[in-house]
Amino acid sequence: MAMSKPQQGDPAGFLDLVGPDLSACVFARLQDPADLARAATVSRPWRRFVEGNGFLKKVCVRKFPELAVLTAAVEVRRSPDPAPAPGPIGGGGGAEANEHRIYSHLYGALVAASPPVDCILHCVGASSTDNFPDETIDNTLEPQDRVNNRFSYWSSAGQDDPDVPETLTYRLVSDICVVDEIRIQPFKAFFQIGHPIYSSKMVRFRMGHCKLPRPSESFITDDDDNQAVIADENYIWTYTSPEFFMLQENKLQTFKLPHPALCIGGVVKIELLGRVQKQATDDRYYICVCHAQVVGRSLSPVFMVDINDSAGYSILKHLPEAKNLSVEEVMQDSASDSQEWKDALASYRETGHLATALMNVLHEGAAHPAQDAQGDAPHFPHGAALLQEIQAMQGDANLMQQLQVDAQLLYLLQDGVLQLQDDVLQDEDGLQAMDEDDDADGGGVSDNDPFA
Amino acid sequence: MATREAGKKMIMLKSPDGMEFEVEEAVAMESQTIRKMIEDDCADTAILIPNINSKILSRVIEYCNKHVPTTGATGAAASDTVAPAALAEDLKIWDAEFIKVNRATRFDLIQAASYLNIKGLLDLTSQTTIDTISDNSLEEIRSFLSTKNDYLPEEEQTIRRENQWAFQ
Repeated sequence: MAMSKPQQGDPAGFLDLVGPDLSACVFARLQDPADLARAATVSRPWRRFVEGNGFLKKVCVRKFPELAVLTAAVEVRRSPDPAPAPGPIGGGGGAEANEHRIYSHLYGALVAASPPVDCILHCVGASSTDNFPDETIDNTLEPQDRVNNRFSYWSSAGQDDPDVPETLTYRLVSDICVVDEIRIQPFKAFFQIGHPIYSSKMVRFRMGHCKLPRPSESFITDDDDNQAVIADENYIWTYTSPEFFMLQENKLQTFKLPHPALCIGGVVKIELLGRVQKQATDDRYYICVCHAQVVGRSLSPVFMVDINDSAGYSILKHLPEAKNLSVEEVMQDSASDSQEWKDALASYRETGHLATALMNVLHEGAAHPAQDAQGDAPHFPHGAALLQEIQAMQGDANLMQQLQVDAQLLYLLQDGVLQLQDDVLQDEDGLQAMDEDDDADGGGVSDNDPFA
Repeated sequence: MATREAGKKMIMLKSPDGMEFEVEEAVAMESQTIRKMIEDDCADTAILIPNINSKILSRVIEYCNKHVPTTGATGAAASDTVAPAALAEDLKIWDAEFIKVNRATRFDLIQAASYLNIKGLLDLTSQTTIDTISDNSLEEIRSFLSTKNDYLPEEEQTIRRENQWAFQ
């Protein structure tokens, strides 16, 4: 059968009869991205029409206003072949068609029903800390309020004015996460008379990106708690939540956002507004947080953002082939990869995604041991390379700082790899040993004796 | 009902195929386009409505007649007052019946509503089109909006696969 010729218009169809301008007015009323994605599948003229008017992007931005910060969207292909992507079928091609396709995939990823997880990678800083390091914000990553017979919480400095706010700033596992809810457990001071709970009155959340170059936003290593770094002028907040009431109760409280929010740039600031609890010994107000979680999903590495405020751009990058990368592919580029691909993966590694990415890959790997090309017994071919890489990082404090991974995470990773190798070896011996990978993510936190 | 009542100014509308329609000025002024002509005094005798044939024009007048704000006892147009809920519900049912027309008529009505700038009618006709896209399968959209599918079957499959989320 001969290839049907793409027609120029929509002969005797809606678009032609009603005309492009009026059709555009009608289509602009479509509110659901799914309707536009389907409309583009009706016929070639319809696809060109939907692409050419950028309708899909507009409704996506209406659904997720945080997307408005993006100035461009590009597709990054792995092959350096200049031949364009396996094209927009029947579409007009070019930038408009690409944008339509990227936003269609993005919205598909946003509405995908994958389970949400805690997306915090590490702490950036707190607005104040009463006693460093005993009461550092780092303690809020730990769910328990007692670790190794010590209480684990963050405490603000004391204030006479109950209205003075505090902030806790966190970096997420990737630069593009969709956040459903935030959970906070205020701290109950069991060691004080009457067991006061140092909650705040209200809480509000901001999301956005840091304008500073990456390395200046490091772990909290001294008692100024990165005061300089967390200063508001260093951030651009593209999402601000409504204010929520916080209960003065010792439990993990869930603050569900009215609509899932896109955190573009990977920084979340928790604003604790107003104080409710005075400390008896000094008659001053404090806020203390035992644990915080930012619950959502990362869209990386299939989607990444490249933000450069001084140059005035923020680009959404779509890497459709990054869906099922192996450890090896995450760790190392192949010589045949395109430069854009290498750059994107390099930033994926460098911006603190690495540790999380590897953890994910490890868990995937444990669930489905790789088959080699010949379909022989399952094995774990990346183990040795990965161990080498981890050991190199452990020996290089600068590199760890640069990659924003900490020692504990590296130990966990090392454990995970060794465990996986063991599993695979035992499998090869015909032994059953697949359920042990739980150790890889449970380590590091020892059981706590009740505090005396 | 008498066509001429004291105090009600009448306007003559002419379609390009030579038909003439005498309507109350208030009804004609449901169209912002005609309102502007009247206000600019360009409408002394009769107004020719280009591009809209008598069949469509009569439907448009029917719509405007139904939707013209009811005049109070004083004769002042009550255009700013909100219709009671019952009246609004009644209009909604009437609109739903009104728009049950073949697709050629509907396309013509969209264009007429746009040219004559009648917001309610444009909303109604646009929404009906939008609902067609939202509520139906691809095949039905093609049929209702008389759009020919020029994709090869395998191409359509590929696009559907790529946009699977939109077809769930």
